[in-house]
Order: sequence, then C-alpha cells, then structure tokens
Amino acid sequence: MKMYKLAGEERFLLWAVCSIQLQVLCDKSGEKLLLLAEGLLKKHIASHSMHEPEALMVYISLLEQQSKYNDGLEVLSGDLGSLLMIEVDKLRIQGRLLARANDYSAAVDVYKKILELSPDDWECFLHYLGCLLEDDSIWKYFDNIDQIHPTKHIECKFSHLTEEMFDSRISSASDLVLKLQIDTENSNLRGPYLAGLEIEKRKFLFGKKNENKLLESLLQYFHKFGHLACYASDVEAYLHVLSPDKKTEFVGMLVKNSDSFSESATKVLGQTTTILKVQELTGNIFELPIDEIEASAVKLAKLYCQNLALSKDLDPQESMFGEELLSLISNMLVQLYWRTRNFGYLAEAIMVLELGLTIRGHVWQYKILLLHIYSYVGALPLAFERYKALDVKNILTETVSHHILRQMLESPMWVDLSNLLKDYLKFMDDHLRESADLTFLAYRHRNYSKVIEFVLFKQRLQHSNQYLATRVEASVLQLKQNADSIEEEERVLENLKSGFQLVELSDEIGSRTLRFNEDMETRPWWTPCPEKNYLLGPFEEISYCPKENEKKDREENMKLAIQRKSLLPRMIYLSIQCTSTALKESVETNGSKGDTKISGELECLLEEYTKMLGCSLSDAVEMITEISKGARTSESLGSNLVEWLNFAVFWNGWSLSSHEHWHVLNSLFERLILDRIRSMGSSDMSSCYSDVQVLVQIITEPLAWHSLIIQACTRSSLPSGKKKKKNHQQHSDQLSSSPMSQTIKDSIQSLCSTIQEVSNWIQNQLDNPEDDQVERFLSTLKRAEDATGGPGQILGVLENVIASSEEAEVGNRIFDALKSWNTADSARKTVMAQQRVFREFLQICESKRKQLETVKQQMSHV
Amino acid sequence: MVCIRRATVDDLLAMQACNLMCLPENYQMKYYLYHILSWPQLLYVAEDYNGRIVGYVLAKMEEESNECHGHITSLAVLRTHRKLGLATKLMTAAQAAMEQVYEAEYVSLHVRRSNRAAFNLYTETLGYKINDVEAKYYADGEDAYDMRKHLKGKQNHHHGHSHHHHGGGCCSGDAKPVEIAQAADAKAVSK
Repeated sequence: MKMYKLAGEERFLLWAVCSIQLQVLCDKSGEKLLLLAEGLLKKHIASHSMHEPEALMVYISLLEQQSKYNDGLEVLSGDLGSLLMIEVDKLRIQGRLLARANDYSAAVDVYKKILELSPDDWECFLHYLGCLLEDDSIWKYFDNIDQIHPTKHIECKFSHLTEEMFDSRISSASDLVLKLQIDTENSNLRGPYLAGLEIEKRKFLFGKKNENKLLESLLQYFHKFGHLACYASDVEAYLHVLSPDKKTEFVGMLVKNSDSFSESATKVLGQTTTILKVQELTGNIFELPIDEIEASAVKLAKLYCQNLALSKDLDPQESMFGEELLSLISNMLVQLYWRTRNFGYLAEAIMVLELGLTIRGHVWQYKILLLHIYSYVGALPLAFERYKALDVKNILTETVSHHILRQMLESPMWVDLSNLLKDYLKFMDDHLRESADLTFLAYRHRNYSKVIEFVLFKQRLQHSNQYLATRVEASVLQLKQNADSIEEEERVLENLKSGFQLVELSDEIGSRTLRFNEDMETRPWWTPCPEKNYLLGPFEEISYCPKENEKKDREENMKLAIQRKSLLPRMIYLSIQCTSTALKESVETNGSKGDTKISGELECLLEEYTKMLGCSLSDAVEMITEISKGARTSESLGSNLVEWLNFAVFWNGWSLSSHEHWHVLNSLFERLILDRIRSMGSSDMSSCYSDVQVLVQIITEPLAWHSLIIQACTRSSLPSGKKKKKNHQQHSDQLSSSPMSQTIKDSIQSLCSTIQEVSNWIQNQLDNPEDDQVERFLSTLKRAEDATGGPGQILGVLENVIASSEEAEVGNRIFDALKSWNTADSARKTVMAQQRVFREFLQICESKRKQLETVKQQMSHV
Repeated sequence: MVCIRRATVDDLLAMQACNLMCLPENYQMKYYLYHILSWPQLLYVAEDYNGRIVGYVLAKMEEESNECHGHITSLAVLRTHRKLGLATKLMTAAQAAMEQVYEAEYVSLHVRRSNRAAFNLYTETLGYKINDVEAKYYADGEDAYDMRKHLKGKQNHHHGHSHHHHGGGCCSGDAKPVEIAQAADAKAVSK
C-alpha cells in the first residue's frame, strides 16, 4: 500500500488487493477486509480508471468473493468490460455471474450464445442445462478442486420443478441440441451428441421411464464414435446410472451391432476395444464364466496379432494400433488369477505385457500394470525398474509416485527407497522455496489472478498428504537404517530434535485439511488406491463399485496413519531415556523417580497413539496381553498389526521394571512372526509376498526399536569410559545378577530364536536353485496338448506370431523386436528380482540377530 | 475436444500427467509455471467431457527480439484423443490470443524433422512455412524445422484496445528475469 501511495501505480494497489483476497481465502476470515479492498479499487477507478484486463478480473473476482454478483455484472457491461478482448471469455464470466445471482433465464441466453459460437463447449452446455433447470449443483462440482480429475458424477436437483416445467425446459434444450447437431454435422464434433445423451440422462433421473431411449442414444453414439479410444470414458457417467440388467443388455447390444461393421480394419479394431472397455467399466466382465473370459482374451490376442501390420510405418513415438488390447488382456488374466488362484494366469499377464513393451517401449500403461503385478509377486526390484522407466520427475513425483511408494516403504530395499524419498522431497522443498520468486514473476507481468491461483496451488502442495507422510517416513527410514547401533541412532535422533519436531507436525496435521493430488485413475482396477489390493482377498468379497466412495475414509485413515508414525521418533527417544531410570529403580528399590517427566511424556504419547488406533490405553494393553497369551488371534489387530507391535514395544519401554511386560512382548513377537511363517508354509514368494511385507515391517520397525531399548539397558549397566557415575561398578554387579538382567537376557534369547526362524525360512527360499525356480515359473504356462482351458493360451497365440511373422509384413522395427523376445529371460528376471528381495531381507535379519548376540555376550561379561 | 479453455495453475497437475502419457519429453515444472504466470492468456487446455485434461498448448511471447512474436513451446494431445482435431483447436486458440492480446506479428515453433504427423498438421492444416532448419536442435541430435506463420498483427480488428497496454506491449521493457534465462536454456534440452 505504501508503494501505491508513493508511486500511485495500479500494480501496487492490485498487489495489496490480491494480498487481502489471499488472506481471506486462506484463513476463511477477515471478510471485512474485502470491503476495504473494494473501496480502494473503486476510488482508484474513479480517479485513474483501470487499464489492465487482469486488474478487471481481480475486481470482478473480489466482488464475486463477496457474492456481489450484480455489481460484477454492472462492471462487466460498463466501459471497463471492453478491457476483455476475447468475446467468449467475457460471455463466460457474464454467464457465471448471472447464474450465481440466480438470474437463470438471462444466464440461459448467454450460455446459448456461447454454444452457438462454440458448439463443442461441454462445460458451457452443462451450465446451460443447469440454468435451464434452475439447478445450482454444478457450481459445487466445479468448486470441488481437490482431485486432479473432477468427479464424474454430477448431482442433479429437480424437486423444485413440476413435471410440466421440466418437460417444457428439457424440450427447449433438445431443440437447441438438435440445431447444434445439424449445424456441426460435417465437423464430427462429439459434444452435441453427448449433449443428447445428457438430456436423456436428466430425463431418466427425473423419473421418466426412458431407460430404453437412453440405451438407444448410447448405441447411436457408438455407431458414430464407437471406434474412437475415448468412447468408453465419454459414456462412463451414463453407464453408471443404468441398472445392472440394463448394463448387461447394453453390452449385448454393442456386441450385436459391432459385427455389422467391417468397413476398415482400424474401425473394427477400435470398436472391439471399446466394447471390452465398456465391459470393464460396467463390471459386466466380472460376471462372465471363466471360459468365456479366456475365449475373449484369446480373441483379443489374435486381433492384436492380425493388426500388427497396420503399425508397420508408424513413427516410434506414435501409439500403435491395438495397443490397448494387451492392457485389456492383462486385466482379464489378473481377474482369472483372482478367481482361480492359478498363478499361471499372473505369469501370463507378465509375459503379455513384457512382450508388448518389447514391441513398443514407451507404453506407460504396460509399465504401470507390470509394476503392480511385479510388486504383488514380490519381484520388487523389477517393479522399481518399470517405475523408473516411467521417467517420473517434477510434479509427477507428486501425482504418480503413489504407484511404488508404499511397496518400497514396506520393503528391505532401503537404498532405492531412500533415493525415492530424497528425490521427491527435494522437488517439493525446491518448489516451495522458489515459489516466492514465481509469485513475483506473475506480479511483474501484471497477472494478478494468476498470483492468487499460484499461491493456492502452492498451499495445495504444501498440505499434500503424500508430502507430509514422506517427510515423516524419511526420518523413520533413517532410524531404521541405523537401529543396529544405539550411538548412531542417537545421532539421528539428535538431528531430528529428539523427535520433537515430528510430534509438533502430528499436532498440526490434526487440525489441517490434507490434500490429495495423486492421480489414482492410472492404477489398475484391482488396486484402486495404495491401501487396497483386491487380490489379497477372496473373489466373492468385492462387488464392483465406483472408486469415488472411498475418498472420505481414505482422508481420515491417512491422517491417523501419518500422525501415528510421526510420534515414533519421540517415543524411541523417550524409551531410550527411560532405561536409565528404570534400571536405577530396579537396583535401588526405594526408587527415587528422577525422571518422572520423561515417563509422563511417554505415557501421554502412548495414550495418544492408542487413541489413534481406536481404543484407550488400558484396552490396548488388554488387547496385546490377550493376544500374547493366545486368548485372541492376531486377526483382531486388523491391518494395523505393525503399529500395535510398536505400541507394545513402547509400552514395555515405559514400564521396563515389570517382568511380566517383557514377557508379554516376547511372546507377542514370537506369536505374530511365527503365525506369518506358518501361514506362508512352503509356498513361494509369488503367493505370499504380502506376508513377507509384514515380516519386513515387524523386523525393521518394532523389533528394531525393541532391540534399541535392550541396547540402551545394557549400556546403562556396562562399565564404559563414557559413564561417569561413581557407583557404576556396583550397579553393574547388582544388575548382572538381578532379576532384571535375567529378564533382558531372556528377551534377547527369545528375539534371537524368533529371528532365526525368519532367516531359516528365507534361506530355504534362497536354497532353491534359480534354474529350478525359472523352470517352475515357466511350467505354470505349459499346456497339455489336449487341454481346453487354463493359462498359456494367449502366450501361445502371441508366440505363434513371433515364429511366423515376416519382416516385409510388419516392418523391420516390429520384426526385430519380435525376434528379440525370449520368454525364459523374462521368467528369469522375475525370479532374480524375487531373490534379491530375499537376500536384502536376510541381510537385515542376520545383522539384527548378530547385534543381539553381541549384546548378550556383553551382558554375560559383566 | 470439448472445452478448449484457458489453463489454470491447478491444471498443471493434470497437464503433467498428460505429458507422461503422450510425450517422451518432460518439462521442468518451473518452465510451465514460468509460462502460465507470465502469459496466462496463451495457455489452453482441452478438457474432455468428463473433466479430464486431454491436451494442452503451451506458448509464450518472445521477449528478446524487436519483432513482437509468439512462440509455441509445446503441444500435446493424449493418445486416446488423437485425430479429433484437438491440436488444431488448441493451436488456433493460442494463436488468436497472441494476435488479439499481444498483437503478435507472427508465431514460430520447432518440430522434429521425423515427426511427420505434426509437420503435416502445421503446414497443411495451420498454414505454417519452414523458415529455417536448426541442426541438432534436440537432445538426441535430431534436427528441427523452425517454422513460422504470419498473423494479422497490429491491424487489430478489436475496438477498445486503447486502454490496453501491457507495460509496453508484449515485449515488455522490464529487466529480464532470471527464470527466463533458465527457461531459454531448458528449451534446447527439453523441447
């Protein structure tokens, strides 16, 4: 403001006005300031008028922010309105202001005008229809900014309309749409036809019994645009309002009608792909019998092969004809695996996608699908390789890294994980740091409305759930990596301000709205978000449901998970501190409770932690005690098993002098770990990786923290140069023979033998010769001569083509790729990747066990 | 196509996703931001019927030369949405904005020599002409055509532009900010 007063320049005033707008937008308070800003602008306009279109946009948005829509309209239609050079832009603002001022009939006229100027403007059509039906729900839809892709489901309100009103308005909409269709007949626009579908949908939602008419319109749309790759996503919203029966009927109609078309190979290919996609979208494919799905996948594979020649002359960057078929086939194969638990289908899905990637190296869908299948079968290094091939950089680290992040966090691949976390945090931190310069850039170019957008965007990134979670995870990873040495761990803790910062973060998150910027639409159907994997449950359990229902729960769960995790470093720190007090207590039984403050803080954190697990401290204690005694099964811990164990560790750390608590903890570890090993039995990695993931987490988190506490206990009892306590030797002597010392030794013994069990299991897996495992992998794909179904058919089709293809037919690029394909190589890579995970895990287990053995020896030397 | 509308800063998230799916090259986010915060009128997205961003055009005004001209930095359309005329519409919108808002005299762009589809679009549909060939313009050593198309420029048919100055038109006299230098470097690497 000072600058404005000094220089009198418009830009300084607008700077001040933008700052006010932002303050109100971010704090949701101080609305009176808006009035002040408006006054300042008015005064400026009166004396200097206004010269920048952007200044006008700010003025109008300021009025809008105060719901002064009519004032905005007045400004727009006045002299200042001519600042906006592009007619349609101006009309859009006018339409919006009219609609928000509830002047629907005037808004309808404006939107009509826009549609006549640009008949394919879909957003405008929705506004037109909304205003015509006096329904303002669409504004909620456009205000919903938390997703990258806005929700497909728009609510519609009709209750304020009589049937007669509805009929007359919808018929005027139909007239307009018909006119647009005629006007644009030669330009092949989809908009006007989709508008026809939208009208049928509204009628249906209003209660008109026009389901058949809707189907017919969908079919017409198919005749016109069914060969395009966008058909399925165009009609998704319309399919969802149909009843399951009608959905099936519609798929039938498509199949029947597609056969009559055979003008060109590309059109047939396009339509067939579309039908499959519609089957996927409607969930229809989940109801088909297994042999029908198999037959359909074989048909698609043949279609892919037949059409390879079409792509002969394409540039390497262009997408191939029939590219999507392989993704669809792989989706079917995954479903077949889910239904039959026959691993061969999954192996076949891997082969189909890898072959696809050999032919066309840049297809991101193949990479993403492979990444998830490899993660599921425990070939994580390969999954990570496919992820890296996506070339995820910059903002993509925010929108795309959810594909791999969770698996990596639950893996023993710490080096890769650490790089992943570092790259992401570096991008986010750099961006947040540079954002001041960028804000200034927008100011300098006088793009005031962009300043506001940009600052809100920055906030969106700052409050990203993934960003917060990663910050916590990066610290926890350091703790995990250094947990074998208490001195190293203390250095890490020191850098983390004894865990205090993250506790503060946890408090902050409680009152914050987390933002979700991940692009979940690119995920495969069977794992719609990182926390869900349908393949882990039985086939019958899930019915097809749209993804969006899950969002609300997810936000709450994510928040709790981040909060719980951010308490860990502090609890580790406090537990280590508690050991010295506890030992003193156990020696001097008259107990001067020197550090009640520490133990008090730990107790508070434990209470908070259990609250976030959904129960009180005493209930939580009861729960783990019962499980350790076998009175309850570990299933009662649900998916938070690792976190319950964390709790048990710190609860013991808080009450070290109780021998019973130590005992509970020991048997808890033993029980939960052995449970897992038993459930895996002798099955191989491919079918039990989720159990391995849990084991990795148990060993690298709660068990590591517990072993740290043991190290701390021992250290306080050992004579060492660092310890200056006068009566130290006496303490140690007493300790070595005290029941406390025995308790610790017992715990070490118990942990060591439990870890040994894990190591044995892993070693067993590693002892299988690689060649045997490759052979076993390939054998799941082998088919008997007379077999009618089962895995291997599709690969058979594809391999036939490889054997028989000719260079002249498919072009040298595809030909070379086909010739370079080797099924056994692909199988071997998978097996090697699985083994690498085992080796890394074994290494961690061994170093934990050795570390504990050393502590045990130290104790017996005391 | 659907709605060809002006890009917002938030669109960057979906635009980047679009980039993953259709362009082998990735831009620095800073470069996007530099465009949208400097010439927001020149960035358009194609939004599909269900709200997805399926294409975009990224353009800027060239500030270093005396002639006021626009430059198309990047044009992308999702593979699933090719052959619908989206690219033409995006280009037309950006060119119109260059002409109407900044009074650009011509618009330039670079295209890979091997990219026949794009080359045809520029020459046949949009009326661009080859101005020059830049040897080894791309990181992988491929040559680029430097192409141009003349716009109506100063004979602006819109009335009321008497109010309209952008701190001296498009080629603003402001000191060149640091980001511009970085972006210009980035062009050769990432375009």
